[in-house]
Formats: sequence, C-alpha cells, structure tokens
Amino acid sequence: MNPLLKVEGLTVRFGGLTAVDGARLEIGPGQIRGLIGPNGAGKTTLFNAISGLAPTSAGSIHLDGVDITAFSAPRRAAHGVRRTFQTVQLVQSLTVYENLLFGLHTVAGDPLTAFVVGRHARRMAVDPDAVIAEVLGYLGMTDLQDRVVDTLTIAQQRYLEIGRALVARPKLLMLDEPTAGLSPAQLERLDALIARLPADWNVSILLVEHVIPLVVKLCDRITVLDRGRVIAEGTGAEIENDPVVQKAYLGERLDA
Amino acid sequence: MLSALRNNILPLFFIAIFAISFTTDAYSQYLINLMLVYVVVAQGLNLILGFAGMFAFAHGAFMAIGAYVSALLMNELGLPYAVALPMAGLSAAAVGCVIGIPAIRVSGLYLAMVTMGISEIVQWVLRHWKPVTGGTDGIGVASPSFFGFEFSDDFQSFHIIFVVCAVMTILAQFVVRSRLGRAFVAIREGEIAAQSSGINVARTKVFAFAISAFYAGIGGSLFSLTQHYINPENFNLYQMIMQFCMVIVGGSASLVGPFIGAAILTWLPELLRSAQAFQEIGFGLLLIVFVIFMPRGLAGFLIDRNILPRERFSRAPRVEPEQRAAPPVTVERT
Amino acid sequence: MMEIATLLSVGVSNGCLYGLVGLGLVLVYNAQGIPNFAHGELFMATAFAAYVANVILGIPYALSFLIAIAFAAVLGMLVEFLAIRPISTNRALGRASTDVAVVLSTVGLMITIKGLARIPWGDSVRKLPGAFSTETVTIGSLVISTQRLLIIVVAAVLTVCISLFFARTSLGKKMRATSQNITGAKLIGINTGHIYSATWGLAAVCGGIAGVLAAPIIFLHPDMGTRMLLKGFAAACLGGFGSVSGVFVGGILMGIVEIFFGRYLATSMMDIFAPIIIIVVLLFRPQGLFGARRAVRV
Repeated sequence: MNPLLKVEGLTVRFGGLTAVDGARLEIGPGQIRGLIGPNGAGKTTLFNAISGLAPTSAGSIHLDGVDITAFSAPRRAAHGVRRTFQTVQLVQSLTVYENLLFGLHTVAGDPLTAFVVGRHARRMAVDPDAVIAEVLGYLGMTDLQDRVVDTLTIAQQRYLEIGRALVARPKLLMLDEPTAGLSPAQLERLDALIARLPADWNVSILLVEHVIPLVVKLCDRITVLDRGRVIAEGTGAEIENDPVVQKAYLGERLDA
Repeated sequence: MLSALRNNILPLFFIAIFAISFTTDAYSQYLINLMLVYVVVAQGLNLILGFAGMFAFAHGAFMAIGAYVSALLMNELGLPYAVALPMAGLSAAAVGCVIGIPAIRVSGLYLAMVTMGISEIVQWVLRHWKPVTGGTDGIGVASPSFFGFEFSDDFQSFHIIFVVCAVMTILAQFVVRSRLGRAFVAIREGEIAAQSSGINVARTKVFAFAISAFYAGIGGSLFSLTQHYINPENFNLYQMIMQFCMVIVGGSASLVGPFIGAAILTWLPELLRSAQAFQEIGFGLLLIVFVIFMPRGLAGFLIDRNILPRERFSRAPRVEPEQRAAPPVTVERT
Repeated sequence: MMEIATLLSVGVSNGCLYGLVGLGLVLVYNAQGIPNFAHGELFMATAFAAYVANVILGIPYALSFLIAIAFAAVLGMLVEFLAIRPISTNRALGRASTDVAVVLSTVGLMITIKGLARIPWGDSVRKLPGAFSTETVTIGSLVISTQRLLIIVVAAVLTVCISLFFARTSLGKKMRATSQNITGAKLIGINTGHIYSATWGLAAVCGGIAGVLAAPIIFLHPDMGTRMLLKGFAAACLGGFGSVSGVFVGGILMGIVEIFFGRYLATSMMDIFAPIIIIVVLLFRPQGLFGARRAVRV
C-alpha cells in the first residue's frame, strides 16, 4: 500500500546551522506515527517543514502521491495537511463556532471571498453547519458552540484545535505536543481520543511528544531524531529497547 | 423587545437620522452630513486597523485621492456624480493595492512609516501639482445632479450621503461576517495559525488595504460634497488623527464603533470651537486616555456590559444542532 | 567650488541633526519595538524649553542648554511612564492590539504636545539665538556658520560617547541585552522598567539636543517637530536601525543629497525627499545600508 506521507532526504538549514539532516519518514494510511527525540533534536523543525512553516533546503515531501515540497503552508492545508500547535493558536476573541469555520476556510464559503484562500480553494459540497455540528458532537463540545474561546479551559482549547483540523477532513493530522499543560486525567482522555481518530475520521496522524510512555502506547510506529538525523525507527517496543535511542536520551541527561 | 432593539441598533440609527433630518436647521444638517461621511471613512479604517490589526497611516491620503478624483471628474470631464463617486472609491482602492503589495512585506513600525511616507507624498503632490489640483488654493466642487435635478444644498446632498453611508455599512457587515472578515481577525491574532488553516495571508492583507482605501475614497468624495471646496489641508495629519480617534474612541473590531466615534468626534470640535490648539490637545488626550483605559473603545465597553450584542463573524443565525448520541470521548466541563 | 563646499557644510550639518533625531527613534525601537511618533515633539518641546530659559528668563546660553537637556530627559521618562508603560503591561490585550495601542498612544502624545505648545507660541515663529555671538567663521576659503559647525562637532562627539556608553558601561550593556532578549534580561535580574525609563530619557536627550542646536537655524514653531520626525526616520532607515554610527552616516547622506537636490533641482523637492527614502529603503532594502539582514521586527 502506498504511504500517505513520504518524506525523503529532508534537510533544513538555517544560516550556517543544519537543523534537520536527510530525514526519512513514511506514514501509511490510518497510521499513528510518533516523532520523538531529545531537546534540540530538530523535531519541531522537521514538523514545521512538513507543515510548510519552515523552508526545506533539500529533499522531498509527498502527500498521497502529490509532491508538496514546494507548496506554501496554506496550499498544503488545502491539500489535506492540518496541524495543531504547542501553544494553542486559536483566535481567542471569537467563538468556538467561528474558530471551527476557519477549518473550513478552504472548502466552504461564498465565491466572492474565495480569493482569500487563493486558487487553492476547493469547492466541496459541504454544509458548514452540519460538519461543525458533527465535529462538536464527536468531541462532546456541542453546548460550547457559542462560547468565546478565551473562556475555555486549556483542555477544551486543545480539543477545539483538533476539531478545527477535523472539520476539513484532513488526510494528515499533525499534533504538536498536544498534552502540554494537561493533568494526567486529561491526558488519558486525550490519549483515548487520538487513538480513535484514524478509524473514525480516516486520517493519519503525526505526533510530536515528550511523554514517552504515551507515545509508545499510542503510536503504531515511532521515529527518533537526534541532532537533526533519524537514528531509529520502529514500533514502541523496538524503540524502548534500542540502545542507540537510550544513549541519545541518557547521554543527554548525563550531560545536563 | 429590548433584545430586538439591541440586535438592530444600526438600522434604528439610520431610521432615526432620517427622521431627524426633517427638523434640522442648515448647520445641524451640515454636521449630520459630516458625521455620516466620517462613519464611512472610520468603517474603512476600522477594517484594516481594528479588525486586521494593521497599522496603516495612509487614510488621509486615500480620502484626498477620492475627493480630488471625484471633484476633477465632475469639473473637468463633466461626468455625473453617479460615475464620479465609484471612480473615487476605485481609484483610491487601486492606489491602496499598489501600496499594499510591497507594504505587506513589512510590518509594525515599518508599515506605519511607509504609510506615513505615502501620506506625505500625496500631500506634497496635491500642494505642488498646481495645474491639476490647484495647489494650496484647492478646487471647487460642483454639485452633483441626478436626472437633471441639482443637489446643491446640505439638505439635498444629505439624501445622497445617507444612501451611500447605508450601503457602505451593509457592505462592511457582509465583509465582517464572511471568510474575509474572519481572515482579518485571524491575521491580527496570529499569522502562523492563519496560514496553517489555509489563509493566504499576503493576499488578504493587500485586500485589507484595498477595501479600506475604497471606503476612504468614497468618504473623500462625499466629504467634498459637504465642503463644496477642497484643499490639501483638509486631508492632513490632523485629519488622520481625528480618524484614528474615531476608531479608538468608538471601538475597534466592532461595526457599531465607527458610528459612536464619528458621532462624538464630529460634535466635539464644535464644543471646542476656535482654537486649533485646544482641538489638538483634546484629540490627543482622548486617544491616550482611551488607549490606556478603554482600549476596545466605547463599543467594546458596551459589549462587555452586555448592552450591545457581541460582534458576529458568521452569517445567518444557526438552528440549534441536534444532540448526537453519546460521544466516544468527553471533554471535561468547566 | 566654494558653493559646493558651502552646500556640503549645510548638508552635513543638517544630516547630523537628522542622525540625532533618528538615533532617538532607533533607541526606543530597538529596546521596546515601539515607533515613537511623539519623538519630533520632544525635539520641539526641548527647543522651546531652551527658548524659555534663554530668551524669556535670560539665563545664559550654556546653562539654558543644560536645563533644556534635563527637561528633555525628564519629559522622555515621564512620557514613557505615564503613556506607554500602562499599555505594554496591560495583560488583557492581545499582542497585536498592544502594538497598535502603543503606537496610537505615541500619536496621541504627538498631537497633545503640539497643541500644548501652540497655546503660548502658535501665532508666529520665534528665534533662539545661536550658541556663539559670531555668526560665521572662515576656514580657508569656506565660510561656515558657527552654529552648523557646532552641530557637526556635537554630533561627532555624541556618536563616540553613545557608542562607548553601549559598549563599556553597565547600563549600556543592560540596555543592549534587554533589546536583544527581554525574557532573558528579566531572568538575569535586569529591571526592565528602569531600562525603559533610561532608554526613553536618552532618546529624548538626543532629540532634545538636536532641537536646541537646530532652533537658531530653522526657527521655533509648534509644527517644527513633525517634519523632523520624518527626516529622522529616513536617516534611521538608511542607517539600518542597528548601529549608532549607521544612523548618523545615513543622516549625513540624506542631508547632502537633499541639499543638492534642492539647489540644483527645486527647493520644493527637498520636502519630498525623506518620505521617498523611507518608502524606497523599507520596501527594497529594509535593513538599510548598514544593517545586517535580520528578521523584520514583527
């Protein structure tokens, strides 16, 4: 089966610094892929490069067979790449409903304002209210629909950010440390949610996380980065027992 | 009943203004006309400054372009007002695009300075291009006429100004409640997330310039009707600061704000009469005080107190969605 | 040949003034990311302070100069404390709204200060006498105004002093640290409030010195500040907002080109020069002539 996301030889250079060096990553349809590594390993950079917010100096990224390496972030969004952020990036002064409308920016809206997204706007037969209602129901947030975002808790905001991605029916959902700021109980619930997403929404997931046990439990396969390079790749069990991985983490802890 | 009042405050305002116009004297009529003109200009500035958070200092220039284009088209080419007015808006919008395309590459201080520079250049051109603009002497403005009837005094031009103001308000409402309006707010709050949701930030910013310039141009043309004679000093720094005051005092990021701001700031100079110095101090202090103590303006204040309804950024009110079957995971309640 | 020399002397001294004004803008912008639209009015207010001291109260010139500088420093710090700090420390606003709010506050200050000056002095222009009783001095075949000579000398001395200040003194280093990384600065215990006061004070002093030096040449009037603001910005743009000497070089460049434009093309062209420079530089080479390619401060 063809991989949904295929990243090959991806290199990101800033000034004189090589943040990511020849990274290789493949995610199959309906898979959850973890991306971990010690601090400064380049996870965020690689993540940003895939979502279009960091420029690639070399290598390629293919989504569902399409070469998206040269695509801008908005264009990748239109093609089915959606993401969340480490610090929640919602429009705090708008309501839950209005924030979800952003997710539908590229797929629904009047022709007059289509230029706002440029030529990458797709016209799908989407009823915004129905889609939003469905996502809110799925997340259990229906009665929060008209609440202004800055009155929500951090957990609710994180769910909303995922919801904003889901309304667009993405092919690839990228989650950037979604557990930051959550209590253990909230973490459990979020864990359960993420586990169900591929089956319920027909989406693949790329997850960057620091909480290793969560990643091991949740992900089908895990990629480990250290100093910009992929040093290991495999299932949770394989990674946990990999001496190279242990050295990368332990070595860092010893030096700290 | 009260709720109906709250939710329809703008239509009510227009009805009230229309009713009052039957009873005003010439001077009050002039002020009402001026206020409606400022509403239009403030709406445009509010779109780029309040909603999109872009600090653009060029609106005096756009207003001037609109006023002069409108006056010249009527004076020199004998075009009817029905053509001159939209041309005023479109030419200002065109300049707005031309400026916007390079200007959006810079932001913050740099955008403010570039737009201030453009303002100065337009002022300079108006002052020195004597054959066309009459230089510092300015030019007279012909009265508009429709179907042979000349709208020469304030009572008559009121009807034109009233209709145009209403149309521009409806347009602003359309913009704010569409993808464009939401995109403005998204850009203000965080461009990175905006991009990741598929918003073409550069294009949206250029359009912010264009549409707010359009409003300023239309406003400038209407302004020339109230003055019957325009010169470069009508569109100088002082004028720009007054516009900023309107947006800030009235309330940015709200459609009602420009109305409140224009109302207060049209009548305030009348109280502060004569001395330019006192008007300057008044506007300056107003700006500072509001920006420190009431940054979201009077409209923001009223919205927080639930006197005015919250600004909506989506279209028709929705039917309550049905509850779905028990969801697989529940987010916690507050 | 002599005319060129005279033009050069005028251009260079004008440029020094622009550089001084521009430096004040750069200081505040680098420290806090704030474009201070009221800076021109600080220029104007200090000039009037010197006028009040020297002409109205009869205090000797040198002392008046010092009084005016002290006035500038106090005014700058007062402005920051009353009109800027309450906004930038207001947690309730979003970041973009804070930026807009602060700029608008400086705009409000600009027009308030201008209005305040207009009440006593709006009716006509006034003259502040120059620093020396002899109007001009002859060096070789060049006749140069003593005031202009003073401007150039003061500017040169100030450039050196301020560069040393930033490089050597503790306060200067703290100011640089704060401008580069405010969180880091707070972490190592720098009192950012003090830094901001000092920055605004220093910036006001730069503008104020320019004002007092310029007043004998350009005449005192409440509107004299706004024109200077644009020229100061243009100098800062040319210099690239990064270095102290860069702003001065930019200013001098501008002063020279402007005067030659004015002499050989048309005097009316001189007014338009600053805005054109601002637009051209910011749109095509935002880092100026000397700045390193750095991210535009968003």
